[in-house]
Amino acid sequence: MTTIRRFCCNDLLRFASVNLDHLTETFNMSFYMTYLARWPDYFHVAEGPGNRIMGYIMGKVEGQGESWHGHVTAVTVAPEYRRQQLAKKLMNLLEDISDNIDKAYFVDLFVRASNAPAIKMYEKLGYVIYRRVLRYYSGEEDGLDMRKALSRDVEKKSIIPLKRPITPDELEKVCWKG
Amino acid sequence: MASKLGLAGGIPERRVRVIWDAIDSRQYKNAFKHVTTLLTKHPNSPYALALKALVLERMGKPKEALSVCLKAKEVLYANDSLLMDDLTLSTLQIVFQRLDHLDLATNCYEHACSKFPNSLELMMGLFNCYVREYSFVKQQQTAIKMYKLAGEERFLLWAVCSIQLQVVHGNGAEKLLLLAEGLLKKHITSHSLHEPEAVMAYISILEKQSKFGDALEVLAGKLGSLLTIEVDKLRIQGRLLARAGDYVAATDIFKKILVSSPDDWECFLNYLACLMEDGSIWCEEAVNDPVHPPKFVQCKVSHLTDEQFDSQISNASDFIQKLQDDTTNNSMRCPYLANIEIERRKLLRGKSNDESLMDAIVKYFCRFGDLACFTSDVEMFVEVLTDDKKTELLKDLMKSSDALSTTPSKTLGRCITLFKIQHLLLGNMFKYSANELEGSCVQMSDMYCKNLPLSKGLDPQESMHGEELLSITCNVLVQLFWRTKNVGYMVEAIMVLEFGLAIRRYVSQYKILLLHLYSHFGALSVAYEWYKSLDVKNILMESVLHNILPQMLVSPLWTESNNLLKDYLKFMDDHFRESADLTFLAYRHSIYSKVIEFVQFKERLQQSSQYFVARVDTSILQLKQNANNIDEEEGVLESMKCGVHFLDLSNKIESKSISFNEDLQLRPWWTPTSDKNYLLEQFEGTSYCHREVSIKERETSFQREIEKKSILPRMIYLSIQCVSSSIKEHVEVNGSVSPKISSEMKLLLDRYAKLLGFSLSDAIEVVMGFSSSESTSVVSCSNLIDWLNFIVFLNAWSLSSHELVQPESNSSKPHIWNILDSLLEKYILEVVKSMEPDICSPWNDVQLVMQIVTEPLAWHVLVIMSCLRSLQPSGKKKKKSGSVDQSTSNLAHAIQDSVQHLSNVLEEVRRWLREWNKRPEDENVDSILAPLRKNGQNDGPGQVYRIFETYISTINEAEVGDRIAQSLKCWSPAEVARKMVNGKVKVLAEFSTMCDSKIKLLQSIEQQIAQT
Repeated sequence: MTTIRRFCCNDLLRFASVNLDHLTETFNMSFYMTYLARWPDYFHVAEGPGNRIMGYIMGKVEGQGESWHGHVTAVTVAPEYRRQQLAKKLMNLLEDISDNIDKAYFVDLFVRASNAPAIKMYEKLGYVIYRRVLRYYSGEEDGLDMRKALSRDVEKKSIIPLKRPITPDELEKVCWKG
Repeated sequence: MASKLGLAGGIPERRVRVIWDAIDSRQYKNAFKHVTTLLTKHPNSPYALALKALVLERMGKPKEALSVCLKAKEVLYANDSLLMDDLTLSTLQIVFQRLDHLDLATNCYEHACSKFPNSLELMMGLFNCYVREYSFVKQQQTAIKMYKLAGEERFLLWAVCSIQLQVVHGNGAEKLLLLAEGLLKKHITSHSLHEPEAVMAYISILEKQSKFGDALEVLAGKLGSLLTIEVDKLRIQGRLLARAGDYVAATDIFKKILVSSPDDWECFLNYLACLMEDGSIWCEEAVNDPVHPPKFVQCKVSHLTDEQFDSQISNASDFIQKLQDDTTNNSMRCPYLANIEIERRKLLRGKSNDESLMDAIVKYFCRFGDLACFTSDVEMFVEVLTDDKKTELLKDLMKSSDALSTTPSKTLGRCITLFKIQHLLLGNMFKYSANELEGSCVQMSDMYCKNLPLSKGLDPQESMHGEELLSITCNVLVQLFWRTKNVGYMVEAIMVLEFGLAIRRYVSQYKILLLHLYSHFGALSVAYEWYKSLDVKNILMESVLHNILPQMLVSPLWTESNNLLKDYLKFMDDHFRESADLTFLAYRHSIYSKVIEFVQFKERLQQSSQYFVARVDTSILQLKQNANNIDEEEGVLESMKCGVHFLDLSNKIESKSISFNEDLQLRPWWTPTSDKNYLLEQFEGTSYCHREVSIKERETSFQREIEKKSILPRMIYLSIQCVSSSIKEHVEVNGSVSPKISSEMKLLLDRYAKLLGFSLSDAIEVVMGFSSSESTSVVSCSNLIDWLNFIVFLNAWSLSSHELVQPESNSSKPHIWNILDSLLEKYILEVVKSMEPDICSPWNDVQLVMQIVTEPLAWHVLVIMSCLRSLQPSGKKKKKSGSVDQSTSNLAHAIQDSVQHLSNVLEEVRRWLREWNKRPEDENVDSILAPLRKNGQNDGPGQVYRIFETYISTINEAEVGDRIAQSLKCWSPAEVARKMVNGKVKVLAEFSTMCDSKIKLLQSIEQQIAQT
């Protein structure tokens, strides 16, 4: 039971029940506000009955040429509303916007290599592991760069997995924890 | 920064690059060397000077940086032929901003713009300056100039945003909105609009003027097609139609949204509101506090006739039925919850009865009862029912649950829901007997254990099945503790949560409950540890900090309290500093809606109640920490402008609207806000209620609280000054002679008395009454500290003013001083003498003693030190007359007497604290565990504990999996008990150290007095 709408600043004061989850990072203000000021269509919140925050997704669109893509920076759901496919709904929304409005080639995200449940979920949603980024998280844990091709990438070139892992330096752009 | 390269003021790029590179890599000394060389070649280049200032600022030399900046500014102003480029100005701007001189940066840009009125780049810089200064009118004027110059849509919209911001701040809304509309219309006629956010801004301007028809026209036309997210567009359309009163058309729009997204609950409410022709859902009050939106759906009694009502409701039912029929998605809840809302509306209209509503809830339960969110989904509907009906509902739900058969995890989910409704939602826990509640706890914990195998394959990061059972059990155990005051239940509640965290250490819900339990138990350092483990940072501090901060502030854990305050204030102040730049980012990216939002959000945070309190509390904490040394204390007071700043704050507080940003939903039932703790009150057969805390109510009590706190530093300052012998020659820090300390003190005493609920003269009467104990009824735990503070200040004032005529005192000490000393003694020793140093004793009295010693007693000792200082010979000795000699000797005696008195009291406290520490740790651990280990008893605490013990001893590893089995094996209740003991002992030890140093201080005063 979800009303999905644009995320706004006041939601930052209401998302404690979601963000106290240990896997959900609470970023600094300029991080959130930069996303809001630049990609408001990629930052959505789901609200349930009684005006409760159920979860949210934040992301952006970036890249040059064929690497023009949507990026999921964070997607998270409060414990009370898990196992109801809300994350899927939020992901689909971001994919739709990347695909239909911004005409991106693919959507990608980063996930901790140890976060098995999340990896499983993304795979179910059609994401594949594109490459492994060594020691991506605070120089300790590897990150997996997962991708899903969109309609513009007819030949699905963007998701052909790389054979070798790469280092964070080799990432052509700054990516954030997803 | 490296991007700022270029030719500036004729300086070649390569010379500048090395400086920027050094700055970027934080090699400031190196940068300074380069910039010095640069300046030898270009001594009068404003850019080179600006760079030097920047380097100096980064090196931590703000004064020098400012003077170099000012020089650069001077050169810029003096030389008209000089090129004024944005690079120089923006570099200066950075430094001025970091030095908190936004105005100077603005001056530079204003000057530059006046010299080069056609430079768009400079104007943009100037606009940015006004954004930083929140000067909306000037922003508007500059944007209009830019628009006229370049004709670009974005500059027009910058002006429109600046106008909207003025409107938000209540300035001439009507005229301004009309102006904005006019500007936009004119532009649209000639150029149209090209950005979706511009269209949104236009619609918003029209909507604010209630020009709904015009707004709808825009939306339907070519401009509307710029809005690409279809559902967003429909939502706006529906809202505009409804606000225009065209409910029929609006209904159709919301229907359309529901067909495409049938799970959109808010849309359903909008749809229903349109059917009922009730526009209140869109009115301003409904969105008054967006951070605490009402849990319940507001609706007016419909003005529709009975026939109309019936027909509209049946339309709704049919439509919802169709949505249900069409949906194949089993997790779609909205069309089913909608049935309950329809029943509620019927009930409110008198068209239905409770049974139908209950029936609808039961049906919803049969479908979704296993979901964790079921209870919160139906909460607002259950509220409508009377207590009896609620009990009936629970029975119906239980009955229907029996008939349902599904998978084990669903069955478990449903059981949890029933427990949650029974114990948390219905709010009638008090109706059950202790035995019944214990039985429930046993059942829940047993269920938790038996269902652990369901979570066997789960990743440790995933929430486990049945986790909520332990938090409900904890809540019930706390109810039992409240009722019986048997601390065994409290210990058991802690054990339950610790047990859960031993199995999976990530459950934040447990941690929050635990930190409150530990706080109440007195093991504050453990509470603090659990709080830390929640990793509350950044904006979460604003909504979550209230769970720990208030109890820390009255504890002796000063370092930890300081850390909490420091982190929080740093976050807030950083945000205030950077917020305008982010607003400008929104301008630059043409996201106009966020421009307004960012400015409003910053203001909301600036008015945050917690931010107010944290600032004052930081100072009070500093005063507490330095109270043993009067010179240092005066230094601290001086650094806070002798308390004047906070005094101003408290004067303004009433005129400011305060924002409350705490997330209170996270708090446990027994302490719904930080100033309320039911466990300290008597259990009177009632239960806590689910009522939402009214903001108005909180505002009033907050204002009193903050006023009291913010006049405190000033009163301490004045008290010290009052009694100082140099009072007559006292010169204020600001240079003006102020002989009126005593009268200001009286004024503040008057205010303080009012906060206590009395006029000054009545309050003084109350104080005098303490000598014969006739006033003791006025004092309670909650206002004791305030009264004692008042008497401390009253005493200081009376020592310096002859206005207050005191009754003759038997001793050399003035009457009020006597009263104060004996009250301090009375309230401290009352606790110390009555309380066994038992680890399980209630904590609130101990906390009170700690507060008395570290607050009123500490302030009192400061006054004594000030008296002593005034007695000591200073450089310029005055000729003393006989009467002065007499009063000096009286004062000396008074000090001596008081110091001995207080020393004795503190010695008692110290002895008492030693008793606490004397008991061996193991003995303490045993006394914590003892109530849980009464084997063979079937009532009282310990039953849940024993369930866990039995379960662990019979655990089947293969069934629960390796991970759970391992963590269960490591589970040690004795370790938890040890943690509780050590947590409490640590706080007591800190306090003991404080008492020691206070005693030492009193001894040194005694020695000094002997020498005078």
